[in-house]
Amino acid sequence: MAIRIIRAGVLTTVQDLGRPMFRGQAVPTSGAMDQLSARLANKAVGNPDGSALIEFNYGGASFFVECDLLIAYSGYGAIFTVNGVDLPCNRPLFIPAGTSITLKENLQGSRSYLAVAGGWKVTEIMGSRSTYLSGGFGGFEGRALEANDLLINEAGMSPLSKSILEHLKSSEINFPKWSISDSRFVLKNEVRVVPAQEFLWFDAISIISLLTKPFVVNAQGNRMGIPIDGPLMSRRKTDELLSTAVTMGTIQVTGNGNLVLLMADAQTTGGYPRIAQVASVDLVACAQMRPNKEIFFKEISSDEAEELYLEREMHLKQLDATIAYKFMIE
Amino acid sequence: MISLQSATNSDILIYFLSEEAVSVVFGQDINEATFKRISEFNALLTCNPFIGFRTTVVAYTTLSVFYSPIEVMQSVLPGSTGFEKISAYLDLLNAEATKYYSLKQRRIEIPICYGGIFGPDLQEIATFNRLSAEEVIHLHSSAVYKVYMIGFVPGFAYMGGMDERLATPRKAQPRQAVHAGSVGIAGKQTGIYPLSIPGGWQILGRTPIHLFDINRMRPSFLEAGDEVRFKAIDEQRYYELSNLKDGHQDH
Repeated sequence: MAIRIIRAGVLTTVQDLGRPMFRGQAVPTSGAMDQLSARLANKAVGNPDGSALIEFNYGGASFFVECDLLIAYSGYGAIFTVNGVDLPCNRPLFIPAGTSITLKENLQGSRSYLAVAGGWKVTEIMGSRSTYLSGGFGGFEGRALEANDLLINEAGMSPLSKSILEHLKSSEINFPKWSISDSRFVLKNEVRVVPAQEFLWFDAISIISLLTKPFVVNAQGNRMGIPIDGPLMSRRKTDELLSTAVTMGTIQVTGNGNLVLLMADAQTTGGYPRIAQVASVDLVACAQMRPNKEIFFKEISSDEAEELYLEREMHLKQLDATIAYKFMIE
Repeated sequence: MISLQSATNSDILIYFLSEEAVSVVFGQDINEATFKRISEFNALLTCNPFIGFRTTVVAYTTLSVFYSPIEVMQSVLPGSTGFEKISAYLDLLNAEATKYYSLKQRRIEIPICYGGIFGPDLQEIATFNRLSAEEVIHLHSSAVYKVYMIGFVPGFAYMGGMDERLATPRKAQPRQAVHAGSVGIAGKQTGIYPLSIPGGWQILGRTPIHLFDINRMRPSFLEAGDEVRFKAIDEQRYYELSNLKDGHQDH
């Protein structure tokens, strides 16, 4: 299976679920910004969740299918099309060699993921195939994809992927009637947050504003972080914070009172006070926020955040069983 | 906020960082005793990890512990949430920690070629501090430094211990790219660039050692808790060491 990039689009990189084991050495986790969509795309082709896939931002990219493909795409940044006809997302797609696929902008979100049976083949570095652009390593030669790059899949396919391929193999585009429903994870404009350690460093009015007023996603966001515009947070405790650990989902308050939401490629430590931590389940919505989107923050407890996390993992486990059943039993 | 912190009578404070991490607070400011406790606790934890343990991030007064929530929930540790289970384990380990007295600190010597093409700002540092270039090199290479934490970019060590007579403000205009291995001063801090990145530190030399190398099992050369000394070497020795390491000259 192979594709050749025709147009790379805006920042297209190879990612997986990242390298969480190296944060102690100040290596950001990296990996897919929207880990849920990435996992759904992999599941749809029978891959383990951590297989390498391609992360696209918005529409505009296109690629040529050099050899027959078993792929799936997920996410909300683009709709994959062939000759102007939409391909369905969240289900396995058999695409014969010679097809050109173009990504049409989807105004619902910003990022899409393309999985291939076996996973895209790139060198594993520090236990991950994710691109870390600032460090210049990982993914496809440590850089974003460019026109003419040739990507092929890993040789070892899972038994489930082989079975899906057998079911769908054809001389034309073919896919099953069902798709994975991601309605449990619908994009909302409410982002649930847990108060972070420096929450009470801010005055009451600021905290009330944080939890009631609308905020707007700034266009300067990238894989490291997303600035969020809105009421400025003012401090009642003006101590200097000694640099300490931060993580994806941490909302820092900069010197002038603005919010910055840290994402996949963010530094591992920081010295800005942390006002809140986005619930892990809502990082999907954050990764998909388009510039100028209006959002609201809602406070939940750390126990609730953990509960939501475990609930989602349980649903995803059930999904694995469902997909396996559809293709292994028939 | 009380719900976010562990309710025990131990002398550490544990708080929720995310569904996959907690932070342990050992003190309020940068000092030798806190530094030592964090180093010891970190060593103890990494030698005795709980099921689901991933990694730790050491900082000035905190140690953050990253884990897999699913594996932790499956463990038999006491508690009904992942946070409670981890807190229980860390509190227990902290009680044990008092039985361990000293930790063998890694002592590391890093060769630096000062001045010339490798240290374009050596003279500026000397002039700013009313010292000679030789005095700057002597002061910089005779101190003993402690690595408080690794942060900022992969493999970057926040080190304490620089002689304050060397303190120099950052350059007014940052450089577009500072070569990996460059040793710089910014205010009262000294540090080494592990990667070639833009930066505004005053550069006084360069080491042939790769502070961050993705080909090593442990890519970061330094780790929190290390004791570091710098050794002045000449340009010839710099190239010899570069050749020893990777078989080609490093420009």
